[in-house]
Formats: sequence, structure tokens, C-alpha cells
Amino acid sequence: MTTTNPDLQLNHRPGHIKHDGHNLTGFIIFLCSESIIFLAFFSGFALLKITAPEWLPEGVEGLETRLPLINTVVLVSSSFVAYFAERYLHKENLWGFRALWLLTMAMGTYFVYGQYVEWSELPFSLSSGVFGGTFYLLTGFHGLHVITGILLMSLMLYRSFLPNNYAKGEMGVTAVSLFWHFVDVIWIILYILIYVWQRTT
Amino acid sequence: MTSTNYDPRVLKALHPVPGAPDNWKRFFTFNTDAKVIGIQYIALALFFLLVGGLLAMVMRGELITPPADLVDPTVYNGLYTMHGTVMLFLFLFPILNGFNNLLIPTMIGAPDMAFPKVNAAAFWIVPVFGVVLLASFFVPGGPASAGWWSYPPVSIQNPLGHFINGEFLWILAVALSGVSSIMGAVNFVTTIIRMRAPGMGFFRMPVFVWTAWAAQTLQLIGLPALTGGAIMLLFDLSFGTSFFRPEGGGDPVLYQHFFWFYSHPAVYVMVLPVFGIFSELITVYSRKPLFGYKFVALASFVITFLGLIVWVHHMFYSGTPQWMRNIFIVTTMLIAVPTGVKVFAWLGTLWGGKIRLTTPMLFVLGGLVNFILGGITGIMLGTAPVDIHVGNTYFVVAHFHYVIFNTIGFGIFAGIYHWFPKFTGRMYYEGLGKVHFLLTFIGATLNWLPLHWAGLYGMPRRVASYDPEFAIWNVVASIGAFMVGVAAIPFILNIVSSWARGAKAPPNPWNAIGLEWLLPSPPPAENFEDDVPTVISAPYGYGLGQPLVEDEEYYVRRALEA
Amino acid sequence: MTSTTPRPSGGLPVRLLLIVLAATLLDALASLQIARASLGWLPVPASTAAPYVDQLFQLEVGIGAFIFLGCSGFVLWAVLFNRAEKYDESDGLPIEGNTKLEITWTLIPFVIVMVLAYQAIHVSETLSALGPKAKYDLEGGSNPVSVEQLDPIRNYGPIQVISRQWNWEFIYPNGVRSSELHLPIDQRANFQLSSEDVIHGFYVPAFRLKQDIIPGSVISYSITPTREGRYRLRDSQFSGAYFSQNQTDVVVQSQEAFAAWLEQAARNPLVPGLSPATQLYQDRLSKGDKGWATVKPAPPPLVNDPGIPDAPHEA
Repeated sequence: MTTTNPDLQLNHRPGHIKHDGHNLTGFIIFLCSESIIFLAFFSGFALLKITAPEWLPEGVEGLETRLPLINTVVLVSSSFVAYFAERYLHKENLWGFRALWLLTMAMGTYFVYGQYVEWSELPFSLSSGVFGGTFYLLTGFHGLHVITGILLMSLMLYRSFLPNNYAKGEMGVTAVSLFWHFVDVIWIILYILIYVWQRTT
Repeated sequence: MTSTNYDPRVLKALHPVPGAPDNWKRFFTFNTDAKVIGIQYIALALFFLLVGGLLAMVMRGELITPPADLVDPTVYNGLYTMHGTVMLFLFLFPILNGFNNLLIPTMIGAPDMAFPKVNAAAFWIVPVFGVVLLASFFVPGGPASAGWWSYPPVSIQNPLGHFINGEFLWILAVALSGVSSIMGAVNFVTTIIRMRAPGMGFFRMPVFVWTAWAAQTLQLIGLPALTGGAIMLLFDLSFGTSFFRPEGGGDPVLYQHFFWFYSHPAVYVMVLPVFGIFSELITVYSRKPLFGYKFVALASFVITFLGLIVWVHHMFYSGTPQWMRNIFIVTTMLIAVPTGVKVFAWLGTLWGGKIRLTTPMLFVLGGLVNFILGGITGIMLGTAPVDIHVGNTYFVVAHFHYVIFNTIGFGIFAGIYHWFPKFTGRMYYEGLGKVHFLLTFIGATLNWLPLHWAGLYGMPRRVASYDPEFAIWNVVASIGAFMVGVAAIPFILNIVSSWARGAKAPPNPWNAIGLEWLLPSPPPAENFEDDVPTVISAPYGYGLGQPLVEDEEYYVRRALEA
Repeated sequence: MTSTTPRPSGGLPVRLLLIVLAATLLDALASLQIARASLGWLPVPASTAAPYVDQLFQLEVGIGAFIFLGCSGFVLWAVLFNRAEKYDESDGLPIEGNTKLEITWTLIPFVIVMVLAYQAIHVSETLSALGPKAKYDLEGGSNPVSVEQLDPIRNYGPIQVISRQWNWEFIYPNGVRSSELHLPIDQRANFQLSSEDVIHGFYVPAFRLKQDIIPGSVISYSITPTREGRYRLRDSQFSGAYFSQNQTDVVVQSQEAFAAWLEQAARNPLVPGLSPATQLYQDRLSKGDKGWATVKPAPPPLVNDPGIPDAPHEA
């Protein structure tokens, strides 16, 4: 655009607004918001459990904790692996990044498989009262997040093979690994609520 | 440059080009320009205002006589449910997002939203769930008819037993609306935090931006709770769980917590931007700085915070124990304080001003007076003993229509008239605008003022028929409602004809202070592009004689010459 | 923020003060009148709760009217006397704020609403209508009425209140069933509220009391009626198709008349009780089941006294 009056343009310093780098901000805001859904489910679970006249459905003694504990250890450790993968990327060691990143994905996949095994052996279903409903809702909703995380990670892995992809920083990897830590923290709370806190008053 | 001589490349541009032929076609594309999206939101929302309004006309027709004689009670229940849902999710939220799209980037000098594609996707979800919701009129059994609260167990009774039923589509529509709103909220907040013009610190932002920020923060915190509740409701309805079904040990009251944790703040999501519009317009049309700008700006976030801890006042009679009632009485009362700060600040701004009673200012003043009344009845509803008498009666209906239509609706009309020249490049017709205001104000007052008394006397809300002693208030209310309906005619006439052939608007027809008024009318696709003004003073410097930005004269000239 | 004391450009501050004082006085007088009139906006008070609720309501109407009239009057005044002349494009007084004034109008509303909150809590605790709420297992067949949740200071009861889509049933301690709620005057009556299907609202406007009935729970609730007469009992929480027809009457009688009624009713045979929805649903079916889907109304309960559906009610 041109101005016809050159006097006005004299000494004029045009201001600028950055056009990029918002993605991480946006993603963090989204994660905070997402955590509220889990908060809602957790508080609903606690409230239902405290006030229910009969918590466990007939014929159910409680939940087996050994397999889920192994699963928990795998998932939580995968967060550390993801962290070191990210460190490699910072040091521009692409192959180190890819290897550890793939390991994280494998651990996540193992977790999903473990969940599948547990689900298929349980003596109750989604419609077995509030107990069954909340169990499948919480673990299922979390499982969806794990699967989403794995899909996002494979996208990042694919992108690591594109030339010059990390020239402008590795926002995508940072975001995905943040998401992965988030999914982990959620699982720890969920594990305590569902598996550790089994006794009802 | 003559007005007909366009570069063919310009004519193929996605965004509208002032004066170019076939501009309207561009509004039906996946456009990523926030200003196009803003107008898309507003136009679509106004269409749904008509839909929701027509439903209301049928309802008021039914209620003009005591027995349920115009429509079957089941039909009435479906109508009032859809009226509420359409008005909230398809009129109010979208239209306010329209304002956010038009105003946030232009007011802070940003070229666009932080995520333009997400922004466009968020918009296009709205017509999709609009269709889903309207389609529910045609499924067997009719639309959802448990009210917009959709309280279980009545909402999950599913009399016909079909998998696809009105309630199912309703939950689907609300969930999609939630997705769209969250996409919007992430976008607006990121844009406000990261894309302000140089020199625009938080305390140099216009109040509209503050209120939009506060409102969208509420969306981000509150909406997921409703989403959680809606997912559980859907499972109860369709997949045999019993989260809210007492037969399986579930708790119907739990849903009410999820619902109101969001849906009370939802009122603030809607009213906060309107407070912003009030602040913008009262200063312009009084020619005065905003009285206590910082207090007004900060009060927005105080409302956000308090808005999150008052929800149980909707459940005083749900079996809520006394200690919990007491806590929520106090928090609910507290919210009057920041709201009062805003109201008094507007009054202080009017004082000693040079008031111009244009159409937008009339709507602001009408809305302000209505809001004071609606706020006071709100405080009455916050005190549990009075609420236990008038809760779930027409007193509540009158109260929230005073807030939602007589305040928020008025603010929206004010905003549309005020920024119409800026974003369409045309002036509206003042005479038609004033007719619209008069009809709306008188109609709305006749409609909702008498209903307070019906409620005080014990008329429950959501009834298709009522005892004859309530007839007199309902007759007056129906007449008022029909007047509000008629008021749509001058409004539509005004908008359509002035956009088509109104006088060309100058960049700053109201002589207002603000970055958006330094842009041409309508602003170009990227607003200030790569020459963003540097802000050097607080907003609303009317009469202070300081320029808002560095080299203000240069930007004024540039807008005039565009 | 610069703190500029507003100074009127014309006239002495004394004149302004006088105007403000006169306006405040006028406002106060008008709000007092409105507050006086406000008791007439409510149905007849017929329970011990009513006077408390009405007084709180009156207080709120008074304060509310004062604020509303004051603010609207101010807007009107500003519109009349601070209008810009035609073609006057100049600015108003560039006042940016006044910290003292802003703190004042933050503190005064704070004090007012805290007083209201205190009053509301005080009244709420005085009424103590709501007793404990107990969940019970619908499928386990446990008895919904458990003794420990009875109101210890009751004079009469417990009366079992059963709400359905869409009728009411009242069962008295001696086993009498009725479709209208009969209560002895000046006796604190205890209710065990339960629902067989969805949430209903137990609402008697003349008593100023309302309580939602939650299926799966029994709620203990107590009311002391203070005035003989016939009042409406309405379902106040939306409960489906014939929600608006789900209403009956409360008959408050002298203690002798109540005892006589109870004795008489015990001898009456069981007949189908009041259930307007049943008839409306039949009409709907006979017209070809038009309209949108609804669940079938629950059959009318068998009661000793079906009541007088068309008797005039006072409120």
C-alpha cells in the first residue's frame, strides 16, 4: 500500500507481530482444558463410590492388581524414555532420538495390549452397575488418549525423516512428549483411584 | 483506481473484496480470514435466532390460554427444549464468537487468529450440529424434550426405544458444539496472549478483549465438565450404563453438578463479552474515558473465578445439605461485587459526558437498565430461602430472560449496529434502527416483566398448561413476545438493505478511539499487515488529547486512502 | 490511574449535594412503598416458613428497588442533562476514575450482599425443613423408610409421599392412602419423599417450600402448616409429557377435622386416585396417538380418598 504524503512516512517505524510459535501455547492451553474432563470423571467416580449403597456388582470380589501394576510401571517409565529421546533431539542426534522414540511407542503399545488382556478377562461389563460403568469409562477414555499419543508419536517419527523438518525447532515433538507425560500423570491418578482404593466403607 | 477495475487475481481471492461482484459467494467457503469467519458466525447465528424465535412464538401462542390447546403437551416440551438449545448453542455462543473473530484481531492489531484453519473448522462445525439438532424434529418420537438441562432420568427414558432418538441427536449436537467452542477458546486465548500489537500491554487492551479473554477462560475450564457429563449421559441413554440411573446405583444429582459446573459459568461466558461491548460503546457515545478502566478490566477475571464456584445455587432444592447451601449462598452473593463495580463504572462514565443517543447507545442503555433488574433478581435467587420458593417457577424464567435477552441480546444488537460500518463498509439506517429498538424494548418489557409475578405466585416453569389464576400475566407476556417477533422485521430490513445499498462508511464514523478504527472500512484481509501501529496509551482516551498509537496521523491517512 | 475529583462545571457543589440528597430520599421512599407492596405479590402465607421467607423477600425487594431506581434514575438523568447538542462533536469531561469512589462502591455492595447472605443463611437454618437424604438400593429391596432419618421434633408423621409420572400418593401412618395431602394445622408434619421414576418437585407455593424428589433416595422433609385452607401442590421439577398436570391439593384442617377425616378415610374402600394424565393420555390415544413420544402414565394409585379435583384452591 502506498501513501501519497511522504511527510507522514518520514520517521515511521512499522511494528510487527510474530506469526509463528503460538502452537505450543495453544497446545498447553488445550491440555489444561482436557485435564478438566478427567477431573470431572475422577470426582464423579469418587462421589459415586462414596455414596453407593452397593458398590461391587454381585459375584465380583474386587480388581486384580498385579497385571495393572506391571502396566503402570511400563507406562510411567516410557515417560522417562520420551524425555531422553527429546534430549537427543536437542543435541541433534537424530538416530538416538528415533530409537528412544520408537521404544516409547513400543512401551505405549505394550500398555494398550495389557489393557486389552485385562479387559477381556474381567467378569463384569459396561452395564454392571456404576462399578462396571465407571471402570470401563475411565480406563477406556484414558486408553483412547494413549492410542492418540502413539499415533501422534508415529507422525513425529515420520516427520523426523523429512529433510529440514527441525530447522524451525521441534515444537511438534515437545508437544507430543508433553501430551505423553500428561497421559502418564492421568494414569497414575486413575490407578490410585481404581486399583489402590478398592475398599468401600 | 476506479471501483470496477479489478485485477482478475483479486477477484479470485478467498476473502471478500470491497465492492467486487460475487462477494457473497466467498462467505460460503472454507475461508480462514477471521473477519469472514466473524460475519459467517453472525449471519448463521441470526438465522438461528429466527428459528429459536419462531419456536418461542408457538410457545407463547400455546401459553396465551391456560389449557394445552394449541399443541399437544409432548410437542410443547419438545418446543421449549429446542428453543433453549437453539438460542444458547446456535444463536448466543456462535454470535459472540462472531464478535470475537471480528474484534479481537482488529482491536489488538493482529493480522488474524493464531490458528486460522482451526478457526474456520470451529465455525463449520456449527452448521453441522445445527443440522443435526434440527434433524431431530424429524426422527420418530420427536426431538429431545427434557429441557436444555436434560436432567436424567427423564432425559434418558427413551419411550420408543430407538437407538437414534431426539435425545441422542441432542447430546451429539451439544458435544459437537463443545468441540467447536473449545477450538474457538484455545484460539482466542492464544491470540490475545501472543499476538498483541507492539506496546499493547495487558492494561492497554480494550475492555472487550479483557472480557472475551475472561469468558473464553471460563469456556476452557467449564466446558470439559459438561462434556464429561454428556458422555456419561450418552452412555446411560444408549449403552446400558447407569451412572445417573438409580436402578443401577447411579446418582441423578451427580449429573446436575456436571451440568451446572459449566452451565452457570456459561451465562458469564455470554454476558462478559456484552459487558465488554457496553464498555466500548458507553465511552464512545459519552465521549469520555472509561471510569476506572483497570477495575473494570480486572473485575472480568474476578467474575471468571467466582463464576466457577457458585453452581450449586441451581440445586438448593435438590437435596443439597445445609452446609453446602451456606457456602454457595456466600459465593453467589459475592459475584454481585465485581458486577456492581462494572455497572457503577458505566454510570460514572455517563456522568458529565456528551451522550449521543444513536441506535447502539439506545440498546446499550436499555440493556444496562434491564441488566440491573436482572442482576437484582439474580441476587434474590442466590439467597436459598427465597430461591426455594421461586426456583423452577416463572420468576426464574423472567430473571434469566432479563439477563439473556434483555441484556445479552440488547448488547449484541448494540454491537451489530456499532461495528456494522466497520466490517461491511456501509452505514445502517438510523431511523429503522430506532424503530427496532423501541419495538424490542417495549415488547421485551411486556414479555418478561409480568412473568416475575406469575412466578412469585407459584407458576412452575416448563408447563404446557396452567391454573387460570396465572392467565392475566401470560396474556400480557404473549403480546410482548409477539412484539419482539415483529421487531425482527425492521432489523432484517435494515441489515439487508444497508449492506446492499447503504451509504459508504468512512474508516471511523463514530470518531472512536481504538485500533480497529484506524483500519479502512471494511479492513483488508490481513488488517494492518506488516505495518502494525505501536500503542502508546491506554484505551478510551476521549478528551485527554493523547494519541493512541505512534504516528497516529499516518495510520488515519492510510485508512482514508485505502 | 490518575485520580481526578469530579467537579461540576456549573453551579455550586452545595446545589449538587442537595439534588443528590433529595433524589436519595425520594428513592428511599419509593423503595419503601414497593417493599410494602411486595408482600401482596406472594400467595397467602400458610406455613411457619412463609413469614421468614416473606420477610427476607421484602428486605431484598426494598434494597433491590432502591438500587434499581437509583441507577435507572441516574441513567435517565444523564440522558436528559448530559446529552450532546446536535453537531457537538466535542468530548466530555476527561475523568479517568476516582480510586476512593471505586473502593467505596466495591465495599458498599460487599457489605450489603454479606448482610443478605447472613440473613439468608439464618432463615435457611431456622426453617430446617430439609432432613437427611438416604440412598437405598432399588433392586436390593431394602426398605425406603428407615427410622433413623425421621425428624425427631415432628408432631405428626411420617407421611410417605410417592411421586410418579404423573400422580401423587400420600400414605399416612395409620395406612390410609389419599390423592390429596391432608395436614393438621400447627403440627410439624414429617414426610418421606420418594419417587418411582424420575425427579419430581414437591412444591406448595402457599408454604413457600419446595423440595426435589430424587429417585433412588428417600428425603426426610418437614413442614408446619399454620392456616386452614386448600392450597395447590405442584410438581416443580420437569417430569415429562404431562408434567403440568401433575398437581393436587393440600388440605390443611383443624386437628379435630383432620382426625375425623383420617378415621372416615380408613373406612372408605380403595378406589383409583386422582390422575389427570391418565385421562389425557386416553384422549391422545383415541385421537390417533399424535404428538411426540411419551412414556405411558403410571396407573392411578388405589386410595381411600381420591379427593375433589375441581374444588377451588386459595393459592
